[in-house]
Amino acid sequence: MRPVWAAGRPEMTEELFRDFWWLMFPVFGMVMAILGAVRNGAYQDRVIRDARENLERN
Amino acid sequence: MSFEELFRDFWWLMFPIFGMGMGLLGMISSERRSREVMNVIKSYVDQGKEVPPELLRMAQSDWEAPAQPQQRAPNSNLWTFFTFAAMAAGFSVAWWYVRGELWSISFLVVAVTFGVLAFGALVIAITSRRS
Repeated sequence: MRPVWAAGRPEMTEELFRDFWWLMFPVFGMVMAILGAVRNGAYQDRVIRDARENLERN
Repeated sequence: MSFEELFRDFWWLMFPIFGMGMGLLGMISSERRSREVMNVIKSYVDQGKEVPPELLRMAQSDWEAPAQPQQRAPNSNLWTFFTFAAMAAGFSVAWWYVRGELWSISFLVVAVTFGVLAFGALVIAITSRRS
């Protein structure tokens, strides 16, 4: 059953997937880029936090 | 206009929007982290303690990298040329397969762009070998 907000709208067609299936590769690349940036940022934040804690401890 | 029509007309916009978003986020977070790193290094120096090497590496990569040109391997420009050439060839083939479609021009634009980049990389590779 379709949701209420979709009532009256045409369903997303199979042709849309046939035409744009290849987009999954660049989208996967974008997701990996975001994950890489987040991991890199988390590592740098951890280094800064550890250095600050080390400074306060000693 | 349905979502499908909108998506068919403007799907390519996701790439520049993604690039702009990542660029903006990277710039903001890099600026914030650089400031934090310098503050912590300053605190270490003020207290006469040895600065952790990871912090120095982060500060070095933030500030010195743009000022000092990186030492590149002699063949890296040639590899750049091959990479760009392969991308240009790939997008040219993609354009050839869908050349009847109106939106095939996007593949052609990307192929020409990579072709120009490949040509530039080849020129740089040849001139840097001579010098």
